[in-house]
Amino acid sequence: MFLTRSEYDRGVNTFSPEGRLFQVEYAIEAIKLGTTAIGIRTSEGVVLAVEKRITSPLLVADSIEKILEIDQHVACAMSGLTADSRTMIEHARVEALNHTFAYEEPIPIESVTQSVCDLALRFGEGADGQESNMSRPFGVALLIAGVDERGPQLYHTDPSGTFLHYEAKAIGAGSEGAQTGLQEQYHRDITLVDAEVLALKVLKQVMEEKLSNTNVQLAKVTKESGYQIYSRDELQTVISRM
Amino acid sequence: MDFMMHLEQQQQLEPTQAPVERHSHNHWNPYVDNGGTSLIIAGKDFVLVASDARQSVGYNINTRYDPKAFELSNKTVLATSVCSADAKRLCEVLEQRAQVYYHKHERQIGTRALAQQLSNTLYSRRMFPYYVFPLLGGIDAEGKGAAYAYDAIGNMERVTYKAFGSAAALVQPFLDSQVGMNNQRGAEGERLLSREEALRIAIDSFTSATERDIYTGDWLDIFIIDAAGVHKETRELKHD
Repeated sequence: MFLTRSEYDRGVNTFSPEGRLFQVEYAIEAIKLGTTAIGIRTSEGVVLAVEKRITSPLLVADSIEKILEIDQHVACAMSGLTADSRTMIEHARVEALNHTFAYEEPIPIESVTQSVCDLALRFGEGADGQESNMSRPFGVALLIAGVDERGPQLYHTDPSGTFLHYEAKAIGAGSEGAQTGLQEQYHRDITLVDAEVLALKVLKQVMEEKLSNTNVQLAKVTKESGYQIYSRDELQTVISRM
Repeated sequence: MDFMMHLEQQQQLEPTQAPVERHSHNHWNPYVDNGGTSLIIAGKDFVLVASDARQSVGYNINTRYDPKAFELSNKTVLATSVCSADAKRLCEVLEQRAQVYYHKHERQIGTRALAQQLSNTLYSRRMFPYYVFPLLGGIDAEGKGAAYAYDAIGNMERVTYKAFGSAAALVQPFLDSQVGMNNQRGAEGERLLSREEALRIAIDSFTSATERDIYTGDWLDIFIIDAAGVHKETRELKHD
């Protein structure tokens, strides 16, 4: 593996002769080590579900947060080096608030996604004395879920700064199996209630531990109520419907 | 004590100087009042914006046709008053911001969003304001006529009717009476005018204002904005 990538994987700003940026590709690999996160879009709203790895019984499960609010109408789930997401989410929150300040309207979901991706490529040496924020690409992928006047939307962003619009998407360690599961079971007119169950079902298939109301997080973004994260009790009622 | 004496000595040493006028009587003034009047009336599903086109300074008329209501790319109209140069610059800035919004978000900026943007643009110049009192007309998200009125530093108000400019003191009371139905026995408050009524009242306002205000006259640009777009017509006012 390393023979073919000789030397060209050292710098973050050097293309290999085949035209590849290995550090960016490695960053994408880093996400495959992360916990699984799933997003499902329905006509009523978007559901986000993530797995939490409770590595020790002494670990306080609630301290792991992998679904965060960006604005009242946008949320994101993450996988990979979750610490890297702090910079990105901070940026997204500022962009969302600035938009509201400037235009007195919620920021469109695609715009907030675009702004996060703009940040994703600002690694390496800063050009011409400009400050660069990161010395390496972000090692985190995001599922950005939100509702605007175009309806509920789900976007996936990766360390290369690419974003794609999805109906349903899985990222992280179990993403391959989960994506297959979603492809088989997702249909366009799925209800939000069914999507909650589908998200947990697919997550359960790829999780090593037994799924419970402590080792997963579930959230939804709807037109009516915006971003809402499920409490343990609410999570339990969804689990009991599985 | 020593110190006081030292101070007195020093003061005595200062040569006596005759008062000198350091500034001339005419302070340099960056602001010009070019006169002119603008008016806005919001209806149920339309908004009417009207501005005269005379541009003057003092007793001189610079030009008889200098439009001060501008159609923007998002089907809103910005009507201005007072300083013509500032008005044109403000319009350019606002149009640029509308274009930036269009490219960034892949959609036309809404009337409400542009109204807020205009307020922020004006306030960003809080310490050296544009000498302009803008009126912004467009259609809101519900399809209703939306009219916004501003002062020079960005205070914003959504209104149903408003007149600004050199004849505002003549036109506003007329609108208060005919559109606002203020202080009238048996009147049921503010009216939402039909297009025909709004047009008639706008024209009457300007013909009357032209009679009494030397800064208003020559030509009248009338914009009617509805769901279909912006319709503009230009009418003649008295040229005296």
